[in-house]
Amino acid sequence: MNLQMIAYLAELGKLSFTPEEMKKMAAEMTSIIEIMDTVKEIDVTYDALADNKNVYLNDLREDINADSFPTEKILQNAVQDENCFVVPKVVE
Amino acid sequence: MDYTQFTIEKLRSMLDQKEISVAELTQGYLDRITKYDGTLQSYITVTPERAMADAAAAQKKIDSGNAGVLCGIPLAIKDNICTDGIRTTCASKMLEDFVPPYNATVMEKLAAQDIVLLGKTSMDEFAMGGSTQTSAFAKTRNPYRTDCVPGGSSGGSAASVAASLAAAAIGSDTGGSIRQPAAFCGVTGLKPTYGRVSRYGLVAFASSLDQIGPIAKNAKDCAWLLGAIAGYDPHDGTVSKRAVDDYTAKIGKDIKGLRIALPKEFYADGIDAEVRNAAMKAAETYQAMGAELVSCSMSSLKYAVAAYYLIASAEASSNLSRYDGIKYGHRSKIGDTFQELICNSRSEGFGDEVKRRILLGNYALSSGYYDAYYGKALALRQRISAEYAHIFESCDVILTPTTPSVAYRVDENITDPVKMYQADICTVTVNIASLPAISTPCGYDASGMPIGMSIVGKQFDEATILQVADTYEQQFTPIAPTL
Repeated sequence: MNLQMIAYLAELGKLSFTPEEMKKMAAEMTSIIEIMDTVKEIDVTYDALADNKNVYLNDLREDINADSFPTEKILQNAVQDENCFVVPKVVE
Repeated sequence: MDYTQFTIEKLRSMLDQKEISVAELTQGYLDRITKYDGTLQSYITVTPERAMADAAAAQKKIDSGNAGVLCGIPLAIKDNICTDGIRTTCASKMLEDFVPPYNATVMEKLAAQDIVLLGKTSMDEFAMGGSTQTSAFAKTRNPYRTDCVPGGSSGGSAASVAASLAAAAIGSDTGGSIRQPAAFCGVTGLKPTYGRVSRYGLVAFASSLDQIGPIAKNAKDCAWLLGAIAGYDPHDGTVSKRAVDDYTAKIGKDIKGLRIALPKEFYADGIDAEVRNAAMKAAETYQAMGAELVSCSMSSLKYAVAAYYLIASAEASSNLSRYDGIKYGHRSKIGDTFQELICNSRSEGFGDEVKRRILLGNYALSSGYYDAYYGKALALRQRISAEYAHIFESCDVILTPTTPSVAYRVDENITDPVKMYQADICTVTVNIASLPAISTPCGYDASGMPIGMSIVGKQFDEATILQVADTYEQQFTPIAPTL
């Protein structure tokens, strides 16, 4: 895996690396992808219609209004101001 | 009398008979934590004040004659399970100061049983690893040999139980994270069927694979714990509405006629001879008790590690996108723009292994690679599930080694991600196929390190694998670690 690909994947994941970290990551990811390449040997494709339902999503609750968390609890782990999350300026 | 060594069943009897008080018992564990956890590092956060308050409340319940099976039992909880008002770090700098505003459903259920919370146990960062050496705060050691890893990712939970720093613990298992550390630390760990236990309040890693379960001194204790935490939860749409069984119901019953499958690929080269032999010897023990051994095959096993890491990393890369440094979690001091703040917060907060998984997940899902990697992994998921279903058409349970080797030294493997991933070969297929499995000790190697075997069951048939594990435990003499 080359440095260009690492840079692309890092951008997708909102991560940044120093040039040294990039080189180390490229070497590690190359070894990891070698293992992952074994899946290419199989000649079947995923069949969504034949999915064996590993994940059930058929026991959903009724859509009923309920109390939400209090604002102060939601904000307790954030930098906040006047009951709002604080972010860098996003609008010029 | 050192009652911290006892099982939950024995402690229940002693508490109900007033042979000890909950406060005495709790203090006994807290004293051991003070004495031994400096070396073992099994806890990230110890909660002595909360524990003694819980103890007082539990004692009142016992005195009034209203005690449930877990009332007053001191437990440790993995630090990726949200505890209202108690820091939950996921062993990551990203969540170093995170205090959840709510309890995970599992915590609510345990609190309703009046358990005593001793603290939060260490783990691999975001549950990504098999050594607990990627923890940002407590690199747990194995109680049997402190120069060895306890396994992971629930290494703190397993080590705390093995060292009697808790009566039992709760862990989570995405690809073996309950069973593998249980095997390395010589205790019993149960990964329930996907959908048996609510994941609400479990910090998400791979949502189609994650499952919470117990680690305890034996299968019967695991049965009691599972009974307490299982069941429907309106907060988690993946939890089954199926009724919760009495998981102790089959314990003690004869296993005569039980058909035990032995897939040959799990006993092949790549599994250390001592581990393989111990699992085979356990199978022969079952045979002597009247069970029937059935040879079978799981030909897709050689693809399982790749399929698992592709699916798990793809889901992780999505789940971990929530960490932006804004709503909660580490917030960088550097970043003039929204994008810079997010990127810096994530780069400073996540450790190397988490970053590797995010990159791998993005790779598997990215345009041009999706069909070749993620699509193939999903196809393999179907194939592996079908192979399990085929085996279960003629067998009741499957018996395999839990790990390819016993616990390794802390300086081995952990710098080589490829070796670490391949070590998950014996456990990942169970998560891929959403099945329940239990690991229980089946022997010790020449150096005295524990060896675990796994018993895999049909979906929602936890009662049978608990019965089978208990049957072996009844004739097995465990050797406690010397601290």
